[in-house]
Amino acid sequence: MTAQTNQSWAASRLPCLASLCACLNARTMAPGGSYFAAFPFLIAVLAAFLSLSGIVLAVFYNPWHAFASVQFINRDVNQGWLIRTYHATGTTLIFALAYLHLFRSILIRAYRAPAEFSWLMSVKLLLVLLLTGWLGFVLTGGAAGHLSLVNAANAALSLGGLPGAVGLWFLGGPAGQGTLARLEVFHALLGISLLLVVWAYFASRKAAAQVEPAKAVAFYPYYLAQYFAALAVLAFIFVLLGFYAPGVSGVAANHIPAGGLALPLGAGVPWYLAPAAGLLGVFPTAKLAVAAAIVAVVLLYALPWLDRSGPDGAKGKVYCFFTWVLALDVLGLGLAAAGVLPFSPVLAVLFTGWFFFHFLVLTPVVTAMEAK
Amino acid sequence: MAEPTASHAPGESRRDFLTILAAATGAVAAGAILWPVVDALNPDQAAEGTGQLIVNVSDIAENTAKTVQWGGLPVTIRRLSAADIAANQDELVVPSTLPAPADFASRVNAGYPSFVVVVGLNTATPCALEGDSPSEPRGDYNGWVCPCDGSQYDPLGRVRKGPAKRNLAIPRYTFINPSQIRLG
Amino acid sequence: MRRVFALTAILTILGIANAHAEDTLSPLHFQSQGPLGTIDKAAAQRGYEVYKSVCAGCHSLGKVHYRDLEALGLTPAQAAGEALAAGGTLNSPIKGAAPLNMGGAIPPDLSSIAAQRPGGPNYIYNYLTGFGPAPAGVTLLPGHNYNAAFPGGQTAMPDVLHDGAVTYQDGVQPTKAQEAADVAEFLAWAADPNLDARHQIGFRAIIFFAFLTIIAVASKRKVWRTQA
Ligand code: HEC
Repeated sequence: MTAQTNQSWAASRLPCLASLCACLNARTMAPGGSYFAAFPFLIAVLAAFLSLSGIVLAVFYNPWHAFASVQFINRDVNQGWLIRTYHATGTTLIFALAYLHLFRSILIRAYRAPAEFSWLMSVKLLLVLLLTGWLGFVLTGGAAGHLSLVNAANAALSLGGLPGAVGLWFLGGPAGQGTLARLEVFHALLGISLLLVVWAYFASRKAAAQVEPAKAVAFYPYYLAQYFAALAVLAFIFVLLGFYAPGVSGVAANHIPAGGLALPLGAGVPWYLAPAAGLLGVFPTAKLAVAAAIVAVVLLYALPWLDRSGPDGAKGKVYCFFTWVLALDVLGLGLAAAGVLPFSPVLAVLFTGWFFFHFLVLTPVVTAMEAK
Repeated sequence: MAEPTASHAPGESRRDFLTILAAATGAVAAGAILWPVVDALNPDQAAEGTGQLIVNVSDIAENTAKTVQWGGLPVTIRRLSAADIAANQDELVVPSTLPAPADFASRVNAGYPSFVVVVGLNTATPCALEGDSPSEPRGDYNGWVCPCDGSQYDPLGRVRKGPAKRNLAIPRYTFINPSQIRLG
Repeated sequence: MRRVFALTAILTILGIANAHAEDTLSPLHFQSQGPLGTIDKAAAQRGYEVYKSVCAGCHSLGKVHYRDLEALGLTPAQAAGEALAAGGTLNSPIKGAAPLNMGGAIPPDLSSIAAQRPGGPNYIYNYLTGFGPAPAGVTLLPGHNYNAAFPGGQTAMPDVLHDGAVTYQDGVQPTKAQEAADVAEFLAWAADPNLDARHQIGFRAIIFFAFLTIIAVASKRKVWRTQA
């Protein structure tokens, strides 16, 4: 077969091709993997897709006239509106998948040894996404994004100490015109670095996988077919959202340019930032909010060690129940931040409290109890 | 693949119609998704826009030309005299004898044969040409001359005397109506 | 899969219904609204007339160019004519910045107003037809007019539309309500000129990706069945 000779011709001159083929054909993967296990792959595809559409946007984006340049992309660049749809809808989907992936990892306790590193990378993925997403939201130059930027800059100014210094280094002082120029660069770098994070996740997941060799299957063709099907479903959802609900990824107030006299009340943040905004929003001072954010991040990272059940502790019903409650809690934080719940401010405090309670108290206690 | 059948023992069925259809549809999808990314880098509407200029040609008298700036180039629009048209249409000037052969039809718009639209820059030394109005020097062929190197062109913008060797360039233009043309 | 079919079927039906929907003033309905809406080009062209002869005196439309009017069904020559009549070219904005200041209130640029106000064209219609005598107990600020739709009830903009404020080429009766509805549709287009393309491409893409999903899932199942 010529194809085969060609392949060995290329492979002998570029040995990594041979190892790639070997890798795709090696029987190392679990038989009958769930579609949920394909989420990190979908996240990787979306990260690449967002980088690509982001490069095109960066060609036309102008941080000194942010709002006008976004309008220009929408109105005057060929397919510009479609590229923006790509970028916005891709953002919504990558966040949705990241949240679901984290939820499932907690639910099935995918963080346990020896897969701690995969968990650390999953958390890192969400954190990088949150920062990148926030920057993208600010870059639009809309009134809502600008308000959020001004709040962040004011927080950094009032913080003092190391966190304040870091914040001011990041933002380059109070929110001014040049701020967006540096944020554009950070946005792009962080966005592209997502690919690295996903790669580290895959590498560590592979190392940690424990598959019975007799039952293992190869990536090709089994997982290729599954990932392809997962991509098709993703594309379908993408089209539904992107073409018929283009507003889901943004906030209405961002249609108004920043710097108008009237800052819109209740400008809000996009849905994917809402849980974080809800959590930070309950703290009266910037210092407390930063401390809370640090604690929340540390708790998430520490989950493999907060779980006291040991390496082969059985999955308990109570643990599952509280994981679902945690999901509702995060959802509630987002809704409270959007102000759609009655008594939102009070509920936000309750939900925030529960979030910390879940990791600090419930996780160790419940896992220890159920391990017996 | 050293051992192509190693990973799927039972039958060769994976390369069946369904798989091929799925792969082909997937390839079409990838192409359709990526095309806008490529198209976005084509000239945008503003660039296309500034690339266009509408010129009123109704005020150009016979045997004179008007020069406008377009895209950084002087574009010269000349209304031919009846004598010029007759001389060239009937091929009194034999195109094949010219330094750069070109017949009448290739130099004008078929619907509006009395207008010649050219870039008014000498093709040897890039100098602006003289000869738009009959009072300017027009050379031996009643066309344009280059004040820098003396190249001469006829009313159709064909080079007749060197050092230039190429005819005047014809920019992209369309007649919107008999009195307006759009450049670009 | 059955659900996918049902969804496409529903969308198709909606699309057909939408294509036949007429632009009616009571109840107020804009063809551009809804998941499968399209710009009513005839209405938007009339709306452009209203903008040109009434609103342009105070409001700019800085992001929309004469060349863009071709998307509303004007021929290139007509668009060029509009531009020429206004002393511009196809690439000039329909109207640049308006430095007008009416007693502290600056008439906003209308390019994106339909996206910037909740309710979009509905709000614009209600605003333009919401003028009236101030109810008892409302004292108007100097230079302000009562408007039932405007947040706060009083606006610096005067009531500018009235029956016959413009003459329509297409024979539609230029009542005040008609003018308001038309200019609202025009502004809906100005704020979202890609609406038609988005809904058209989206519709095709949905059918295509539904198909792709079905065969991809089927092919996955088939491949996995061969698993020893
Ligand atoms: C005489 C000048 C004038 C004319 C003519 C005029 N407007 Fe206005 N318009 C204003 C001013 C001033 C404001 C600001 C009102 C305020 O903030 O109180 C305004 C505000 C608006 C707003 C924003 C209302 C809001 O919610 O903030 C809309 C929409 C609007 N005009 C539409 C129109 C349309 C459509 C026309 C043409 C039919 C028009 N205007 C004609 C002066 C004018």
